[in-house]
Amino acid sequence: MTRGTTQTAAGREPPFAGETVSAGARAAALSARGLVKRYRDGTEANRGIDFDVCAGEVVSVLGPNGAGKTTFLRQLTTELRPTAGSVEVFGVDAVREPARAKRLMGVTPQEAGVFERLTVREHLELFARLKGMPRPEAHEASREVADELGLAPESGKRVGDLSGGQRRRVLVGLALLGRPPLLVLDEPTMGLDPASRRAVWGVILRAASRGAAVVLSTHYIEEAERLSDRVAVIIGGRLVALGSVEELLGRSGRGYRVTYGDPLDPDGETRSLYFASFDEARRHVEAERLSEYTVARASLEDVYFALTGQRATEEAREEAACRV
Amino acid sequence: MPRLNEIVCVFRIQLANMRGETGPFLLAAVVFPSAMYLFAGAVGGAGAAGGEARLRFLAGSIVFSLSLTSISWLGYLMLENRFTGRLRLFATLPLAPSSYLCGFLAFALAQGALSTAALLAVGRWAGVPVRPSVAPLALVVVLTVLCLCGLGALVAARARSFTEGSLMTDALGAGLVFLAPVYYAPEAMPGWLGAASRWLPTTFAASAIRTALSGGHEVYGEVSALALTAAATLALGLRLTNWREG
Repeated sequence: MTRGTTQTAAGREPPFAGETVSAGARAAALSARGLVKRYRDGTEANRGIDFDVCAGEVVSVLGPNGAGKTTFLRQLTTELRPTAGSVEVFGVDAVREPARAKRLMGVTPQEAGVFERLTVREHLELFARLKGMPRPEAHEASREVADELGLAPESGKRVGDLSGGQRRRVLVGLALLGRPPLLVLDEPTMGLDPASRRAVWGVILRAASRGAAVVLSTHYIEEAERLSDRVAVIIGGRLVALGSVEELLGRSGRGYRVTYGDPLDPDGETRSLYFASFDEARRHVEAERLSEYTVARASLEDVYFALTGQRATEEAREEAACRV
Repeated sequence: MPRLNEIVCVFRIQLANMRGETGPFLLAAVVFPSAMYLFAGAVGGAGAAGGEARLRFLAGSIVFSLSLTSISWLGYLMLENRFTGRLRLFATLPLAPSSYLCGFLAFALAQGALSTAALLAVGRWAGVPVRPSVAPLALVVVLTVLCLCGLGALVAARARSFTEGSLMTDALGAGLVFLAPVYYAPEAMPGWLGAASRWLPTTFAASAIRTALSGGHEVYGEVSALALTAAATLALGLRLTNWREG
Protein backbone atom coordinates (compact mmCIF):
# COMPACT_ATOMS: atom_id res chain seq x y z
CA MET A 1 0.00 0.00 0.00
CA THR A 2 1.35 3.40 -0.88
CA ARG A 3 0.13 6.82 0.06
CA GLY A 4 -0.57 7.85 -3.49
CA THR A 5 -0.19 11.30 -4.95
CA THR A 6 -3.82 12.24 -4.45
CA GLN A 7 -3.25 12.60 -0.73
CA THR A 8 -0.77 15.43 -1.07
CA ALA A 9 -1.79 18.88 -0.08
CA ALA A 10 0.53 20.91 -2.24
CA GLY A 11 0.11 24.60 -1.90
CA ARG A 12 -1.10 24.55 1.68
CA GLU A 13 0.28 27.25 3.96
CA PRO A 14 2.78 26.15 6.57
CA PRO A 15 1.03 25.66 9.93
CA PHE A 16 3.47 27.88 11.74
CA ALA A 17 2.56 31.25 13.07
CA GLY A 18 5.94 32.51 14.14
CA GLU A 19 7.51 32.99 10.71
CA THR A 20 6.55 35.09 7.75
CA VAL A 21 6.99 33.36 4.42
CA SER A 22 6.94 34.87 0.99
CA ALA A 23 3.72 34.32 -0.88
CA GLY A 24 5.39 33.16 -4.06
CA ALA A 25 7.06 30.23 -2.38
CA ARG A 26 4.01 28.67 -0.77
CA ALA A 27 3.65 25.95 -3.38
CA ALA A 28 6.93 24.32 -2.35
CA ALA A 29 7.76 23.83 1.29
CA LEU A 30 11.30 23.00 0.31
CA SER A 31 13.02 23.67 -2.94
CA ALA A 32 16.61 22.72 -3.79
CA ARG A 33 18.22 23.67 -7.09
CA GLY A 34 21.50 22.43 -8.53
CA LEU A 35 22.84 21.22 -5.19
CA VAL A 36 26.49 20.31 -5.42
CA LYS A 37 28.82 19.23 -2.65
CA ARG A 38 32.48 18.95 -3.50
CA TYR A 39 34.91 18.19 -0.68
CA ARG A 40 38.46 19.54 -0.47
CA ASP A 41 39.92 16.24 -1.65
CA GLY A 42 37.87 16.58 -4.85
CA THR A 43 35.21 14.02 -3.91
CA GLU A 44 31.83 15.01 -5.27
CA ALA A 45 29.11 13.83 -2.89
CA ASN A 46 26.27 15.57 -4.74
CA ARG A 47 26.33 16.50 -8.40
CA GLY A 48 23.52 18.92 -9.06
CA ILE A 49 20.33 17.82 -7.36
CA ASP A 50 16.98 19.51 -8.06
CA PHE A 51 14.30 18.64 -5.54
CA ASP A 52 10.95 19.99 -4.29
CA VAL A 53 8.63 18.96 -1.51
CA CYS A 54 5.18 20.39 -0.98
CA ALA A 55 3.28 20.92 2.24
CA GLY A 56 1.54 17.75 3.35
CA GLU A 57 3.76 15.56 1.21
CA VAL A 58 6.09 12.76 2.32
CA VAL A 59 9.12 12.14 0.12
CA SER A 60 11.46 9.26 0.90
CA VAL A 61 15.06 9.35 -0.25
CA LEU A 62 16.50 5.96 -1.13
CA GLY A 63 19.95 4.98 -2.27
CA PRO A 64 22.80 2.60 -1.54
CA ASN A 65 25.31 3.33 1.22
CA GLY A 66 27.56 6.22 0.24
CA ALA A 67 25.20 7.42 -2.48
CA GLY A 68 25.03 10.91 -1.01
CA LYS A 69 21.69 10.76 0.82
CA THR A 70 22.97 12.03 4.15
CA THR A 71 25.07 14.73 2.47
CA PHE A 72 21.96 15.82 0.61
CA LEU A 73 19.83 15.90 3.76
CA ARG A 74 22.54 17.77 5.67
CA GLN A 75 22.57 20.38 2.96
CA LEU A 76 18.81 20.74 3.28
CA THR A 77 19.08 21.21 7.04
CA THR A 78 21.82 23.86 6.62
CA GLU A 79 24.33 21.69 8.50
CA LEU A 80 26.47 21.41 5.41
CA ARG A 81 27.11 24.39 3.18
CA PRO A 82 26.60 23.50 -0.50
CA THR A 83 29.48 24.08 -2.89
CA ALA A 84 26.92 25.29 -5.41
CA GLY A 85 23.16 25.50 -5.65
CA SER A 86 20.36 26.83 -3.51
CA VAL A 87 17.95 25.60 -0.84
CA GLU A 88 14.77 27.46 -0.01
CA VAL A 89 12.53 26.57 2.92
CA PHE A 90 9.12 28.23 2.52
CA GLY A 91 10.86 30.92 0.50
CA VAL A 92 13.66 31.47 3.02
CA ASP A 93 17.15 31.13 1.57
CA ALA A 94 18.56 28.40 3.82
CA VAL A 95 22.13 28.90 2.61
CA ARG A 96 22.20 32.60 3.50
CA GLU A 97 19.79 32.60 6.43
CA PRO A 98 20.24 29.22 8.11
CA ALA A 99 18.86 30.31 11.50
CA ARG A 100 15.62 31.57 9.93
CA ALA A 101 15.26 28.42 7.85
CA LYS A 102 15.90 26.20 10.87
CA ARG A 103 12.96 27.81 12.70
CA LEU A 104 10.74 26.19 10.07
CA MET A 105 12.09 22.68 10.32
CA GLY A 106 12.45 19.76 12.69
CA VAL A 107 15.47 17.57 12.08
CA THR A 108 16.52 14.10 13.15
CA PRO A 109 20.18 13.66 12.19
CA GLN A 110 21.40 10.18 11.34
CA GLU A 111 24.11 10.06 13.95
CA ALA A 112 23.30 12.28 16.86
CA GLY A 113 24.04 11.72 20.50
CA VAL A 114 21.71 12.19 23.42
CA PHE A 115 22.42 13.57 26.88
CA GLU A 116 22.37 10.34 28.80
CA ARG A 117 21.83 11.77 32.27
CA LEU A 118 18.83 13.86 31.25
CA THR A 119 15.40 12.30 31.60
CA VAL A 120 13.21 11.96 28.51
CA ARG A 121 11.01 14.79 29.82
CA GLU A 122 13.98 17.08 30.46
CA HIS A 123 15.38 16.31 27.03
CA LEU A 124 12.15 17.17 25.26
CA GLU A 125 11.33 20.22 27.38
CA LEU A 126 14.78 21.79 27.20
CA PHE A 127 14.99 21.31 23.45
CA ALA A 128 11.48 22.73 23.07
CA ARG A 129 12.69 25.78 25.01
CA LEU A 130 15.72 25.97 22.71
CA LYS A 131 13.29 26.07 19.79
CA GLY A 132 11.94 29.25 21.34
CA MET A 133 8.79 27.89 23.00
CA PRO A 134 7.66 29.47 26.29
CA ARG A 135 7.81 27.18 29.33
CA PRO A 136 4.10 26.12 29.46
CA GLU A 137 4.06 25.41 25.72
CA ALA A 138 7.32 23.50 25.95
CA HIS A 139 5.87 21.38 28.74
CA GLU A 140 2.71 20.66 26.75
CA ALA A 141 4.61 19.97 23.51
CA SER A 142 6.98 17.53 25.19
CA ARG A 143 4.05 15.71 26.81
CA GLU A 144 2.28 15.44 23.44
CA VAL A 145 5.38 14.18 21.66
CA ALA A 146 6.10 11.62 24.39
CA ASP A 147 2.51 10.37 24.12
CA GLU A 148 2.65 10.20 20.32
CA LEU A 149 5.87 8.21 20.31
CA GLY A 150 4.85 5.89 23.14
CA LEU A 151 7.51 7.36 25.41
CA ALA A 152 5.13 8.61 28.12
CA PRO A 153 5.85 5.71 30.52
CA GLU A 154 9.57 6.45 30.11
CA SER A 155 9.27 10.22 30.68
CA GLY A 156 10.94 10.14 34.08
CA LYS A 157 13.71 7.75 33.02
CA ARG A 158 17.19 8.87 32.13
CA VAL A 159 17.85 8.63 28.42
CA GLY A 160 20.98 6.60 29.17
CA ASP A 161 18.78 3.87 30.68
CA LEU A 162 16.65 3.51 27.54
CA SER A 163 17.07 0.96 24.77
CA GLY A 164 18.64 2.01 21.46
CA GLY A 165 15.21 2.10 19.81
CA GLN A 166 13.73 4.27 22.54
CA ARG A 167 16.66 6.70 22.23
CA ARG A 168 16.04 6.89 18.50
CA ARG A 169 12.42 7.75 19.25
CA VAL A 170 13.58 10.52 21.57
CA LEU A 171 15.63 11.94 18.69
CA VAL A 172 12.59 11.77 16.39
CA GLY A 173 10.61 13.46 19.16
CA LEU A 174 13.04 16.37 19.25
CA ALA A 175 12.30 17.00 15.57
CA LEU A 176 8.54 16.96 16.15
CA LEU A 177 8.54 19.52 18.97
CA GLY A 178 6.55 22.61 18.04
CA ARG A 179 5.01 20.89 15.00
CA PRO A 180 7.39 22.42 12.46
CA PRO A 181 6.01 22.69 8.91
CA LEU A 182 9.01 20.81 7.50
CA LEU A 183 10.48 17.60 8.88
CA VAL A 184 13.83 16.28 7.67
CA LEU A 185 14.44 12.84 9.12
CA ASP A 186 17.63 10.94 8.34
CA GLU A 187 16.84 7.24 8.81
CA PRO A 188 14.29 7.88 11.57
CA THR A 189 13.50 4.21 12.10
CA MET A 190 17.05 2.90 12.06
CA GLY A 191 17.39 0.19 14.70
CA LEU A 192 13.73 0.21 15.73
CA ASP A 193 11.71 -2.93 16.35
CA PRO A 194 8.63 -3.42 14.13
CA ALA A 195 6.19 -2.00 16.70
CA SER A 196 8.29 1.11 17.32
CA ARG A 197 8.78 1.54 13.59
CA ARG A 198 5.03 1.54 13.09
CA ALA A 199 4.64 4.09 15.88
CA VAL A 200 7.09 6.38 14.09
CA TRP A 201 5.32 5.80 10.78
CA GLY A 202 2.06 6.86 12.43
CA VAL A 203 3.69 10.02 13.73
CA ILE A 204 5.08 10.88 10.29
CA LEU A 205 1.76 10.30 8.56
CA ARG A 206 -0.11 12.36 11.16
CA ALA A 207 2.40 15.20 10.74
CA ALA A 208 1.86 15.08 6.96
CA SER A 209 -1.91 15.00 7.37
CA ARG A 210 -1.61 18.16 9.48
CA GLY A 211 0.15 19.79 6.53
CA ALA A 212 3.83 19.25 7.31
CA ALA A 213 6.21 18.47 4.47
CA VAL A 214 8.38 15.45 5.29
CA VAL A 215 11.67 14.39 3.73
CA LEU A 216 13.11 11.19 5.10
CA SER A 217 15.90 8.89 4.12
CA THR A 218 15.61 5.19 4.65
CA HIS A 219 17.09 1.86 3.70
CA TYR A 220 13.75 0.13 4.22
CA ILE A 221 11.96 -0.04 0.89
CA GLU A 222 8.74 -1.17 2.55
CA GLU A 223 8.90 1.97 4.67
CA ALA A 224 9.32 4.20 1.64
CA GLU A 225 6.45 2.42 -0.08
CA ARG A 226 4.15 2.73 2.93
CA LEU A 227 4.85 6.34 3.81
CA SER A 228 5.70 8.19 0.68
CA ASP A 229 3.77 10.25 -1.79
CA ARG A 230 6.96 10.32 -3.83
CA VAL A 231 10.24 8.49 -3.74
CA ALA A 232 13.62 9.92 -4.68
CA VAL A 233 16.52 7.66 -5.57
CA ILE A 234 20.04 9.03 -5.27
CA ILE A 235 22.94 7.15 -6.77
CA GLY A 236 26.47 8.46 -7.01
CA GLY A 237 25.40 11.90 -5.86
CA ARG A 238 22.77 12.23 -8.59
CA LEU A 239 19.00 12.17 -8.29
CA VAL A 240 18.24 9.36 -10.74
CA ALA A 241 14.52 9.02 -10.06
CA LEU A 242 11.79 11.05 -8.41
CA GLY A 243 8.10 10.27 -8.48
CA SER A 244 5.30 8.28 -6.93
CA VAL A 245 5.77 4.53 -6.80
CA GLU A 246 3.27 4.15 -9.65
CA GLU A 247 5.13 6.70 -11.75
CA LEU A 248 8.47 5.04 -11.12
CA LEU A 249 7.04 1.64 -12.04
CA GLY A 250 5.53 3.09 -15.18
CA ARG A 251 8.73 4.86 -16.21
CA SER A 252 10.84 1.79 -15.62
CA GLY A 253 8.65 -0.36 -17.83
CA ARG A 254 8.43 -2.83 -14.96
CA GLY A 255 4.76 -2.94 -14.10
CA TYR A 256 4.56 -6.73 -13.76
CA ARG A 257 6.97 -9.45 -12.77
CA VAL A 258 6.81 -13.01 -14.05
CA THR A 259 8.69 -15.46 -11.87
CA TYR A 260 9.27 -18.99 -13.01
CA GLY A 261 11.61 -21.91 -12.62
CA ASP A 262 13.24 -24.09 -15.27
CA PRO A 263 10.97 -27.18 -15.60
CA LEU A 264 14.01 -29.26 -16.58
CA ASP A 265 15.91 -28.16 -13.48
CA PRO A 266 13.53 -28.19 -10.49
CA ASP A 267 16.37 -27.38 -8.05
CA GLY A 268 17.61 -24.48 -10.15
CA GLU A 269 17.14 -20.80 -9.42
CA THR A 270 13.91 -19.07 -10.22
CA ARG A 271 14.04 -16.38 -12.87
CA SER A 272 12.24 -13.06 -12.99
CA LEU A 273 11.27 -11.09 -16.04
CA TYR A 274 9.57 -7.72 -16.07
CA PHE A 275 6.86 -6.39 -18.36
CA ALA A 276 5.20 -3.04 -18.73
CA SER A 277 1.67 -4.47 -18.73
CA PHE A 278 -0.19 -7.53 -17.58
CA ASP A 279 -1.02 -8.42 -21.21
CA GLU A 280 2.64 -8.42 -22.16
CA ALA A 281 3.39 -10.68 -19.19
CA ARG A 282 0.61 -13.05 -20.18
CA ARG A 283 1.79 -13.17 -23.80
CA HIS A 284 5.26 -14.11 -22.61
CA VAL A 285 3.87 -16.89 -20.41
CA GLU A 286 1.91 -18.26 -23.36
CA ALA A 287 4.79 -17.95 -25.82
CA GLU A 288 7.18 -19.77 -23.47
CA ARG A 289 4.49 -22.28 -22.52
CA LEU A 290 5.31 -21.90 -18.86
CA SER A 291 3.41 -24.28 -16.62
CA GLU A 292 4.52 -23.07 -13.20
CA TYR A 293 4.88 -19.36 -12.79
CA THR A 294 3.63 -16.37 -10.84
CA VAL A 295 2.65 -13.00 -12.24
CA ALA A 296 2.70 -10.19 -9.73
CA ARG A 297 2.63 -6.41 -9.68
CA ALA A 298 6.19 -5.17 -9.58
CA SER A 299 7.16 -3.30 -6.44
CA LEU A 300 9.31 -0.34 -5.53
CA GLU A 301 11.98 -2.85 -4.60
CA ASP A 302 12.07 -4.07 -8.21
CA VAL A 303 12.48 -0.52 -9.49
CA TYR A 304 15.09 0.28 -6.86
CA PHE A 305 17.22 -2.72 -7.73
CA ALA A 306 16.86 -2.00 -11.42
CA LEU A 307 18.11 1.55 -10.84
CA THR A 308 20.97 0.65 -8.56
CA GLY A 309 21.89 -2.64 -10.21
CA GLN A 310 22.49 -3.92 -6.70
CA ARG A 311 20.52 -7.11 -6.89
CA ALA A 312 22.38 -8.23 -9.99
CA THR A 313 25.69 -7.53 -8.32
CA GLU A 314 24.67 -9.29 -5.14
CA GLU A 315 23.36 -12.31 -7.02
CA ALA A 316 26.55 -12.52 -9.06
CA ARG A 317 28.60 -12.36 -5.88
CA GLU A 318 26.50 -15.07 -4.20
CA GLU A 319 26.76 -17.23 -7.30
CA ALA A 320 30.53 -16.85 -7.36
CA ALA A 321 30.70 -17.72 -3.67
CA CYS A 322 28.62 -20.88 -4.28
CA ARG A 323 30.95 -21.96 -7.09
CA VAL A 324 33.97 -21.59 -4.81
CA MET B 1 23.44 37.22 18.94
CA PRO B 2 23.18 35.01 22.02
CA ARG B 3 19.80 34.93 23.76
CA LEU B 4 19.28 34.57 27.49
CA ASN B 5 16.74 31.77 27.12
CA GLU B 6 19.13 29.76 24.94
CA ILE B 7 22.06 30.34 27.30
CA VAL B 8 19.95 29.22 30.28
CA CYS B 9 18.85 26.07 28.43
CA VAL B 10 22.41 25.09 27.44
CA PHE B 11 23.46 25.76 31.05
CA ARG B 12 20.61 23.60 32.38
CA ILE B 13 21.43 20.78 29.96
CA GLN B 14 25.06 20.75 31.15
CA LEU B 15 23.97 21.00 34.78
CA ALA B 16 21.44 18.17 34.49
CA ASN B 17 23.91 16.05 32.57
CA MET B 18 26.41 16.47 35.40
CA ARG B 19 24.18 14.55 37.84
CA GLY B 20 26.10 11.65 39.22
CA GLU B 21 29.38 13.38 38.47
CA THR B 22 29.44 15.46 41.65
CA GLY B 23 32.15 13.25 43.09
CA PRO B 24 34.59 13.65 40.21
CA PHE B 25 33.79 17.38 40.11
CA LEU B 26 34.62 17.79 43.81
CA LEU B 27 37.82 15.81 43.27
CA ALA B 28 38.95 18.09 40.43
CA ALA B 29 37.67 21.36 41.86
CA VAL B 30 38.39 21.03 45.57
CA VAL B 31 40.11 17.83 46.70
CA PHE B 32 43.10 17.80 44.28
CA PRO B 33 43.79 21.55 44.64
CA SER B 34 43.50 21.25 48.45
CA ALA B 35 45.91 18.33 48.38
CA MET B 36 48.24 20.39 46.21
CA TYR B 37 48.05 23.20 48.78
CA LEU B 38 49.10 20.78 51.53
CA PHE B 39 51.78 19.22 49.30
CA ALA B 40 53.24 22.60 48.30
CA GLY B 41 53.17 23.67 51.93
CA ALA B 42 55.03 20.53 53.02
CA VAL B 43 57.62 20.75 50.22
CA GLY B 44 57.98 24.54 50.23
CA GLY B 45 58.05 24.92 53.97
CA ALA B 46 55.01 27.12 54.31
CA GLY B 47 55.32 27.03 58.06
CA ALA B 48 58.80 28.53 57.97
CA ALA B 49 58.07 31.04 55.20
CA GLY B 50 54.89 32.14 56.93
CA GLY B 51 51.80 33.82 55.56
CA GLU B 52 53.29 35.02 52.27
CA ALA B 53 54.09 31.49 51.08
CA ARG B 54 50.77 30.11 52.28
CA LEU B 55 48.97 32.85 50.39
CA ARG B 56 50.94 31.91 47.25
CA PHE B 57 50.02 28.24 47.66
CA LEU B 58 46.34 29.04 48.18
CA ALA B 59 46.27 31.32 45.11
CA GLY B 60 48.08 28.58 43.19
CA SER B 61 45.49 26.02 44.27
CA ILE B 62 42.64 28.27 43.17
CA VAL B 63 44.28 28.63 39.74
CA PHE B 64 44.87 24.86 39.64
CA SER B 65 41.20 24.26 40.41
CA LEU B 66 40.03 26.74 37.77
CA SER B 67 42.39 25.19 35.24
CA LEU B 68 41.16 21.65 35.93
CA THR B 69 37.48 22.60 35.81
CA SER B 70 37.70 25.02 32.89
CA ILE B 71 40.16 23.38 30.51
CA SER B 72 40.15 19.71 31.45
CA TRP B 73 36.48 19.32 32.48
CA LEU B 74 34.74 21.80 30.20
CA GLY B 75 37.04 20.99 27.30
CA TYR B 76 36.18 17.32 27.81
CA LEU B 77 32.44 18.09 27.76
CA MET B 78 32.83 20.11 24.56
CA LEU B 79 34.81 17.29 23.00
CA GLU B 80 32.16 14.80 24.10
CA ASN B 81 29.45 16.94 22.51
CA ARG B 82 31.43 17.16 19.30
CA PHE B 83 32.48 13.54 18.94
CA THR B 84 29.28 11.85 20.19
CA GLY B 85 27.09 13.84 17.81
CA ARG B 86 25.41 15.96 20.48
CA LEU B 87 26.72 19.09 18.82
CA ARG B 88 24.74 18.07 15.74
CA LEU B 89 21.55 18.23 17.81
CA PHE B 90 22.33 21.84 18.70
CA ALA B 91 23.41 22.60 15.13
CA THR B 92 19.99 21.58 13.79
CA LEU B 93 18.26 24.10 16.07
CA PRO B 94 17.80 27.81 15.41
CA LEU B 95 20.34 28.39 18.16
CA ALA B 96 23.09 30.99 17.88
CA PRO B 97 26.50 29.29 18.21
CA SER B 98 27.45 32.06 20.64
CA SER B 99 24.51 31.03 22.88
CA TYR B 100 25.93 27.51 23.00
CA LEU B 101 29.33 28.84 24.02
CA CYS B 102 27.83 31.30 26.52
CA GLY B 103 25.82 28.47 28.12
CA PHE B 104 29.07 26.58 28.60
CA LEU B 105 30.77 29.68 29.99
CA ALA B 106 27.93 30.26 32.45
CA PHE B 107 28.32 26.65 33.59
CA ALA B 108 32.08 27.11 33.94
CA LEU B 109 31.62 30.35 35.90
CA ALA B 110 29.23 28.63 38.31
CA GLN B 111 31.80 25.87 38.80
CA GLY B 112 34.57 28.45 39.24
CA ALA B 113 32.57 30.36 41.87
CA LEU B 114 31.84 27.16 43.81
CA SER B 115 35.39 25.89 43.73
CA THR B 116 36.91 29.29 44.64
CA ALA B 117 34.55 29.65 47.60
CA ALA B 118 35.34 26.09 48.74
CA LEU B 119 39.10 26.69 48.49
CA LEU B 120 38.84 29.99 50.37
CA ALA B 121 37.11 28.06 53.15
CA VAL B 122 39.92 25.48 53.05
CA GLY B 123 42.44 28.35 53.25
CA ARG B 124 40.76 29.86 56.29
CA TRP B 125 40.62 26.44 57.93
CA ALA B 126 44.36 26.00 57.22
CA GLY B 127 45.08 29.39 58.79
CA VAL B 128 46.06 31.29 55.65
CA PRO B 129 45.92 35.04 56.39
CA VAL B 130 43.25 35.83 53.79
CA ARG B 131 41.80 39.36 53.57
CA PRO B 132 40.16 39.14 50.13
CA SER B 133 39.17 42.19 48.09
CA VAL B 134 35.97 40.72 46.77
CA ALA B 135 35.49 42.75 43.58
CA PRO B 136 39.03 42.29 42.18
CA LEU B 137 38.98 38.62 43.20
CA ALA B 138 35.64 38.03 41.49
CA LEU B 139 36.80 39.86 38.35
CA VAL B 140 40.04 37.89 38.15
CA VAL B 141 38.26 34.56 38.72
CA VAL B 142 35.72 35.38 35.98
CA LEU B 143 38.41 36.40 33.48
CA THR B 144 40.58 33.39 34.35
CA VAL B 145 37.65 31.04 33.76
CA LEU B 146 36.80 32.74 30.43
CA CYS B 147 40.42 32.64 29.33
CA LEU B 148 40.90 28.96 30.21
CA CYS B 149 37.52 28.01 28.70
CA GLY B 150 38.62 29.70 25.50
CA LEU B 151 41.67 27.44 25.42
CA GLY B 152 39.46 24.41 26.12
CA ALA B 153 37.12 25.46 23.29
CA LEU B 154 40.08 25.81 20.92
CA VAL B 155 41.28 22.30 21.71
CA ALA B 156 37.74 20.91 21.42
CA ALA B 157 37.29 22.62 18.05
CA ARG B 158 40.57 21.50 16.51
CA ALA B 159 41.18 18.02 17.93
CA ARG B 160 41.20 15.32 15.28
CA SER B 161 39.80 12.68 17.63
CA PHE B 162 38.24 12.42 21.04
CA THR B 163 41.34 10.70 22.43
CA GLU B 164 43.67 13.36 21.07
CA GLY B 165 41.44 16.11 22.42
CA SER B 166 41.04 14.70 25.91
CA LEU B 167 44.79 14.13 26.17
CA MET B 168 45.36 17.72 25.10
CA THR B 169 42.87 19.19 27.57
CA ASP B 170 44.31 17.11 30.41
CA ALA B 171 47.87 18.08 29.53
CA LEU B 172 46.97 21.73 29.11
CA GLY B 173 44.91 21.83 32.33
CA ALA B 174 47.81 20.59 34.44
CA GLY B 175 50.67 21.90 32.28
CA LEU B 176 49.56 25.53 32.40
CA VAL B 177 49.71 25.34 36.20
CA PHE B 178 53.03 23.58 36.57
CA LEU B 179 54.81 25.53 33.80
CA ALA B 180 53.83 28.84 35.38
CA PRO B 181 55.11 30.31 38.64
CA VAL B 182 51.88 29.40 40.40
CA TYR B 183 53.13 27.39 43.36
CA TYR B 184 56.64 28.92 43.44
CA ALA B 185 58.36 32.23 42.80
CA PRO B 186 59.40 33.05 39.20
CA GLU B 187 63.03 33.27 40.36
CA ALA B 188 62.97 29.57 41.11
CA MET B 189 62.48 28.75 37.42
CA PRO B 190 65.23 28.29 34.80
CA GLY B 191 65.82 31.59 32.97
CA TRP B 192 64.30 30.67 29.60
CA LEU B 193 61.27 29.01 31.17
CA GLY B 194 60.76 31.94 33.50
CA ALA B 195 60.78 34.32 30.54
CA ALA B 196 58.30 32.22 28.61
CA SER B 197 56.03 31.56 31.56
CA ARG B 198 55.61 35.28 32.22
CA TRP B 199 53.11 35.31 29.36
CA LEU B 200 50.99 32.37 30.46
CA PRO B 201 47.43 33.22 31.56
CA THR B 202 47.91 31.14 34.71
CA THR B 203 50.85 33.39 35.70
CA PHE B 204 48.66 36.50 35.45
CA ALA B 205 45.84 34.73 37.25
CA ALA B 206 47.99 33.52 40.14
CA SER B 207 49.59 36.91 40.59
CA ALA B 208 46.26 38.76 40.55
CA ILE B 209 44.53 36.28 42.86
CA ARG B 210 47.43 36.54 45.30
CA THR B 211 47.10 40.33 45.29
CA ALA B 212 43.32 40.16 45.74
CA LEU B 213 43.56 37.58 48.55
CA SER B 214 45.90 39.85 50.48
CA GLY B 215 43.45 42.76 50.20
CA GLY B 216 45.13 44.50 47.24
CA HIS B 217 43.37 46.12 44.31
CA GLU B 218 46.33 46.67 41.97
CA VAL B 219 45.48 43.99 39.43
CA TYR B 220 45.00 46.16 36.34
CA GLY B 221 47.88 44.71 34.32
CA GLU B 222 46.89 41.10 34.99
CA VAL B 223 43.20 41.85 34.36
CA SER B 224 44.02 43.48 31.02
CA ALA B 225 46.19 40.54 29.96
CA LEU B 226 43.55 38.01 31.02
CA ALA B 227 40.78 39.98 29.29
CA LEU B 228 42.75 40.16 26.04
CA THR B 229 43.61 36.46 26.13
CA ALA B 230 39.99 35.54 26.96
CA ALA B 231 38.65 37.65 24.08
CA ALA B 232 41.16 36.18 21.63
CA THR B 233 40.75 32.51 22.63
CA LEU B 234 36.96 32.66 22.88
CA ALA B 235 36.59 34.43 19.55
CA LEU B 236 38.90 31.94 17.88
CA GLY B 237 37.27 28.95 19.62
CA LEU B 238 33.83 30.10 18.48
CA ARG B 239 35.05 30.68 14.94
CA LEU B 240 36.74 27.29 14.71
CA THR B 241 33.86 25.29 16.18
CA ASN B 242 32.51 23.24 13.32
CA TRP B 243 28.95 24.42 13.69
CA ARG B 244 28.24 24.39 10.00
CA GLU B 245 30.56 22.49 7.73
CA GLY B 246 31.94 24.41 4.78
